[in-house]
Amino acid sequence: MKLRNKEKDVIALLNKAQRENKHNYITEDKLKLTAQEAGLSYSEVYGVATFYSLFSLKPRGEYVIQVCDSGPCHLMGSKSIFKVLEKELKIKVGETTADGRFTLEEVSCLGICNEAPAMMINEKVCGNLTPQKIREILRELRKKK
Amino acid sequence: MNTVNLTINGKLVQAEKGSTIMEVALANGIKIPHLCYEKGLSIAGSCRLCMVKIKGRPGMEAACTTEVVEKMKVITSDEEIDEARKLIVELILSEHKHDCLVCESNGQCELQDLAYELGIEKIRFPVSKSIEPTEDSSQVILKDPNKCILCGRCVRACAEITVQRVLDFAARGSGTFLISGLDQPLVDTDCVSCGACIQTCPTGALTEKLARFQGRSWEFRKVQTICPYCGVGCQIELNIKNDKIVKVYGVEEGPDNKGHLCVKGRFGFDYVHHKDRLTTPLIKHNGKFEEASWDGALNLVATKFKELKDKYGSDALAGLSSAKCTNEENYLFQKFIRICFGTNNVDHCARLCHASTVAGLSRAFGSGAMTNSIWEFEKADVILVTGSNTTETHPVIGNYFKHLAAYNGTKLIVVDPRAIELTEYAEIWLRQKSGTDVAWINGLMNVIINEGLYNKEFVENRTENFDEFRKVVSKYTPGKVEKITGIPEEKLIAAARMYGKADRGSIVFAMGITQHTTGTDNVLSLANLAMLCGNVGREGTGVNPLRGQNNVQGACDLGALPDVYPGYQKVSKAQVRENFETTWGVKLPPKEGLTVVEIIDAASKGEIKGLYIMGENPMLSDPNLNHVREGLENLDFLVVQDIFLTETAELADVVLPGVSFAEKEGTFTNTCRRIQLLHKAIPPIGKSREDWKIIMEISKRMGYPMAYHSPGEIMDEIASLTPIYGGVHFDRLGGQGLQWPCPSREHPGTPYLHKDKFTRGKGLFTPVDYIPPAELPDEEYPFLLSTGRVLYHFHTGSLSRRSKPLDGIAPEGFLEISPQDAKKLRIKNNDWVRVSSRRGKLKVKVKITHHVDKGVVFMTFHFAESAANLLTSDALDPVAKIPEYKVSAVKIERI
Amino acid sequence: MIKELKSPLRVVLENYGRINPESIEEYIAQDGYEAVGKVLREMRPEQVLSEIKASGLQGRGGAAFPTGLKWEFTAKAKDAPKYIICNADEGEPGTFKDRAILEGDPHKIIEGMIIAGYAVGAHYGYIYIRGEYLLSINRFNKALKQAREHRFLGEDVFGSGFNFQIEIHQGAGSYVCGEETALMESLEGKRGNPRFKPPFPPSSGLWGKPTLINNVETLANIAPIILKGSDWFRTFGTKKCPGTKVYAISGHVKEAGLIEAPMGITLREIIIDYAQGMRDSKFKMAQVGGTAGAILGEDMLDVPLDYASLGEKGLVLGSGAILVMDETTCALDMLECFLNFFKRESCGKCIPCRVGTEKLLELATAISRGEGKEDDIDLMLHTAKVMQKTSLCALGQSLILPISTTLKYSREEVTEHIKGRCPTGVCKI
Ligand SMILES: Cc1cc2nc3c(=O)[nH]c(=O)nc-3n(C[C@H](O)[C@H](O)[C@H](O)COP(=O)(O)O)c2cc1C
Ligand code: SF4
Ligand code: SF4
Ligand code: SF4
Ligand code: SF4
Ligand code: FES
Repeated sequence: MKLRNKEKDVIALLNKAQRENKHNYITEDKLKLTAQEAGLSYSEVYGVATFYSLFSLKPRGEYVIQVCDSGPCHLMGSKSIFKVLEKELKIKVGETTADGRFTLEEVSCLGICNEAPAMMINEKVCGNLTPQKIREILRELRKKK
Repeated sequence: MNTVNLTINGKLVQAEKGSTIMEVALANGIKIPHLCYEKGLSIAGSCRLCMVKIKGRPGMEAACTTEVVEKMKVITSDEEIDEARKLIVELILSEHKHDCLVCESNGQCELQDLAYELGIEKIRFPVSKSIEPTEDSSQVILKDPNKCILCGRCVRACAEITVQRVLDFAARGSGTFLISGLDQPLVDTDCVSCGACIQTCPTGALTEKLARFQGRSWEFRKVQTICPYCGVGCQIELNIKNDKIVKVYGVEEGPDNKGHLCVKGRFGFDYVHHKDRLTTPLIKHNGKFEEASWDGALNLVATKFKELKDKYGSDALAGLSSAKCTNEENYLFQKFIRICFGTNNVDHCARLCHASTVAGLSRAFGSGAMTNSIWEFEKADVILVTGSNTTETHPVIGNYFKHLAAYNGTKLIVVDPRAIELTEYAEIWLRQKSGTDVAWINGLMNVIINEGLYNKEFVENRTENFDEFRKVVSKYTPGKVEKITGIPEEKLIAAARMYGKADRGSIVFAMGITQHTTGTDNVLSLANLAMLCGNVGREGTGVNPLRGQNNVQGACDLGALPDVYPGYQKVSKAQVRENFETTWGVKLPPKEGLTVVEIIDAASKGEIKGLYIMGENPMLSDPNLNHVREGLENLDFLVVQDIFLTETAELADVVLPGVSFAEKEGTFTNTCRRIQLLHKAIPPIGKSREDWKIIMEISKRMGYPMAYHSPGEIMDEIASLTPIYGGVHFDRLGGQGLQWPCPSREHPGTPYLHKDKFTRGKGLFTPVDYIPPAELPDEEYPFLLSTGRVLYHFHTGSLSRRSKPLDGIAPEGFLEISPQDAKKLRIKNNDWVRVSSRRGKLKVKVKITHHVDKGVVFMTFHFAESAANLLTSDALDPVAKIPEYKVSAVKIERI
Repeated sequence: MIKELKSPLRVVLENYGRINPESIEEYIAQDGYEAVGKVLREMRPEQVLSEIKASGLQGRGGAAFPTGLKWEFTAKAKDAPKYIICNADEGEPGTFKDRAILEGDPHKIIEGMIIAGYAVGAHYGYIYIRGEYLLSINRFNKALKQAREHRFLGEDVFGSGFNFQIEIHQGAGSYVCGEETALMESLEGKRGNPRFKPPFPPSSGLWGKPTLINNVETLANIAPIILKGSDWFRTFGTKKCPGTKVYAISGHVKEAGLIEAPMGITLREIIIDYAQGMRDSKFKMAQVGGTAGAILGEDMLDVPLDYASLGEKGLVLGSGAILVMDETTCALDMLECFLNFFKRESCGKCIPCRVGTEKLLELATAISRGEGKEDDIDLMLHTAKVMQKTSLCALGQSLILPISTTLKYSREEVTEHIKGRCPTGVCKI
């Protein structure tokens, strides 16, 4: 049925598809499946999936590190946070480490500006970041298998 | 109060309530710059170039999104507005490097025009330097992202007109870009190459691939005419350079297509210039064609026919006219056959598609044509489509159905054994077994009557024979119908309720209904159904056969039929005959002639000796091709007049080169009875001649001189003899054309028939019982073969297969088979199989698809390499003599 | 838990931090769902409308539209069904008040939505929560479940015959989806492009049906108004802007966090009394209302922070976010940061904003690198003005404010960059 009866669910479906994927992205197969389930065309699903910044169509690391660079965090030093992360992970913003464990991204305000600078790792928010704190966090994550 | 008064730039204008400033301004010839707005598409309000000021309101508002109100005072331009527009255009121009030098749209680009009108000499912003690659995977479309301004018109055109939803935007903000499918090359998407996106694109971002470097906008001569392919009758504008058609646009004012076209109409015109075009008459000597002079060929034709007539009598001659030729040519052809051959043995391919429609509807209503108009479908609450794969065979109408289902709340009921595209847009899809149509239609009516959903008043006042009919219908309980048709009871009941309760229900059908031995019964049943619910004689209702060929309606109207003269006037009626005899000044034969299949039969029996075929290709189109070949080869003399050396022409003794639609004047009558004017766009190719002139030449040489100077003159004669065309004259046919019946010069034409009264007086209910198809699968031939068409080709492919883009997209025929059967036969996609029936066999590649049910296979008949009609059965409907193309039994073997 | 700075009064935040947000019992113990009970048992929809109208409550989502009026428009709309939407897409940088309410007192929002539904004749509510707020989503989900179990949601609430359902819709990362019509597009499963207005949501919103959309904080005010009356509500704030406001403070202050204060409090009071003053260095400027808000200099420290007082000066209170910046801050660097935000978050539908945000950032970046021209500053201002006049939605329309106010206070500082020097040493030239 090509009438868009279940269009409303498309974002939830994409969300689910991404969460279920180990590499935090939506595969082409899932995009197609979502299109069918929601009654959308391929282009429409693709349009939706690429509009929202939480979705990725490219494989990402096991941990997606999203650093806020909006006003409050910028003011409180997010640039240095990026620098530390880039150095520690040896990647640039938008890239994934060769071992497929980390992806570094820039995002808009995460709504914890009272703890600026802040970032989100997968679904966990971390605030009041300092270079030491970041190194600690990375160390913890690296330990996990 | 439905009008409002307002001023635009001080000028007082009136407008309909609810219209936008943009619409009102355009209607009053006031220009407001815009890029994202286009008439006929939904409003985006995204380019922001149409900003205007409204007195008493702060700031500016977009003209395309703001509704007019009483006493509004609109200013469309001042220094501030112009500066804002200028800056916006500069922003667009800085997004990409726009290079007009070699852009196909140079001269007809809305962005270029705006930049010029606003006097933009310098772009204040840094211009982006990145260059994106162009995308040319499609046979017909060239996509250049560097010229895309993201106006979204193509996205909306694809979603709203074609309803394919192939295009959309991806990403967001300044990163936004146009995609097709999952950001795939167009060729890998659901694109149906309709070109609606090209037509609406304001810049050179989407252009016709094959027109690249073929001419600049200002070099083209533009000629409006009618699409030569199907019965929708789309109005097209040919763009011609050096007498060569370079591109085609849909005419926005075209009453039935409103600017829209399908792939054939827009891109399938190159056959006109194909190297295979016949450019000179040919005469066969010792089995080989030799070029001949016109005089030589015409003299030979006339002499031979005269000889045969003298020797064997008039009825040993016959003629097949053409649904591709104009009304005027069809009129002349039948006149010629009736006078010079002295026989009524004249027919044409309508026999093979809608003879049962004409027979059935004439009987029930008194008129054998589409009762309503195409544009009226939007008024219907429910449209029941059966036996019509509309999106492939009448794409512009098919897409309209999709549009109505998706955007207009119109409910579709599709009844079809195949999972055609429309089933995806249908509220209810009934999948009947092929050939069981009378049963399910009776079943629907059974429910409607039992549940009291029928229109008693209408039945009472406007119809007759209800009681007889009711008796038969009462036998068709949903349970019994399920057993015959395979349609589950509940579904049948749901459909009955949906159609029965609709205020306006429209029935649409095509060859899935007509091409059966029970074709006439099927049509009669549909007529019963419509009458039962009072769905005749009002806008948005009716029984609507979609006619296949561009002028099949006209060929019928103009009497290229063995039993009627122009205007369906019976040959057998002395009074009618006398009228024609007086005007034509000859004695006319009273005996009804033979039909297509009968003519071929008679030929193989040696009863027909000479045959004149104009623009038809029975060697692919007719059922049981081996038998057709036998018949044609058995003739003493065969003349074929065509633009290509078709499979049929190859068997001819003399071949006469006619011309294509682009090379002649005349009229076509489309499926909703609209007579539209054809304009000559280019001179005849080589030594070919307009078909009407050829007929005149032969007629003269057979002793009946005809002396028309133009098709317009022929139409005047038609009008004088044909009441339904009585008011049709070329000077009245500009723009919208005329819909018959149009009895007099003053008459405006008739959008829908049977308004207060049926043509025959009262509508006639006919009790119809279900009869199984003539040939059903059995142990030896276990599969049911159904035939039909695909979007990219037309009829026997003599035109479309000579179009590079069309044949490029769909170069070969397939046998569609269900996954279950494929598995059983152990065949894979693209495997070759042998298909055979009691009449013949062929080899074809396989396409495995859910579109066909198990036990059923499907083939198109466009391809000579795998000519489906080698297999089909020539069992005929006893009334209409239409063959049962939709059901024959075949067997399939792996090779 | 977000740090809540000592607040003298609590209306919206009355339960915040004082009850277990995952316990409906604790909420009920604080007179929770009393307002719904009162409305359904004792009041006709029109009475609810007039009470809200009388309170003078204005939308807390930024545009400050009178809430009662919006409800009335929706109630009067002829079409059906009608929808209620709670806008919990809080994406305005520096704003975290809605999150606090959702995490700390979710039932209050449910209550506000039910009352709104009753007042306007809607039976279905959606709450659109931004995808980043996972804790909010979880808490709200639990709250919904409890409310259903207690039959505050569902069929025949309080035996009144009134039915109401609420469904959560999770966002997926887009600031512009906070704009009401973009939010509706997104809820419908489309790209989050704003629609042109009119038609406004009260006549044609979600799926083209009459829709009431309110901010989280707006809805959090409803139950208190119903229980305590509009007169009580009007005892807070100013005449034109009654009630309290939840301000979110961030930046170079000693204590960043949330405060609830009467409308009309000044910036100076907030920084000194609540945020314990500046952290290291002297006050330079503050951005009020989020990234789309204006820069306020020292001269504005005593302007009352309410919709009307700021509106008179051509400024906005917006979401109530306050970003305080000290003298180490480079005004141009911050402007570049703001423009980067807009470029990231522009939906790209309309040309002025799609290309304008990109070009403004390009120009600002060039200047900050010492590659700018004096003309560029005027071009930026001019472009932003055209964007203000022509953009489709408030996102593109509002860039002018941060740009013009930055230039008002710091034009010289920006010009210095063109000459090759960043006065604060932040920008690398
Ligand atoms: C770009 C943009 C973002 C917005 N973001 C939000 C938001 O996150 N939350 C919100 O409540 N309103 C937001 N708004 C305002 C909404 O459009 C709308 O005015 C509000 O939801 C109405 O609720 P209220 O009347 O209760 O304030 C935003 C507006 C714009 C233009
Ligand atoms: S050609 Fe037609 S189907 Fe293909 S993308 Fe363009 S509008 Fe869509
Ligand atoms: S391709 Fe053409 S029609 Fe489509 S968005 Fe781009 S400029 Fe507009
Ligand atoms: S083939 Fe038919 S639908 Fe297609 S353009 Fe021609 S007339 Fe129109
Ligand atoms: S102003 Fe910006 S965010 Fe708003 S519609 Fe236009 S492009 Fe989208
Ligand atoms: S024409 Fe009005 S915004 Fe484009």
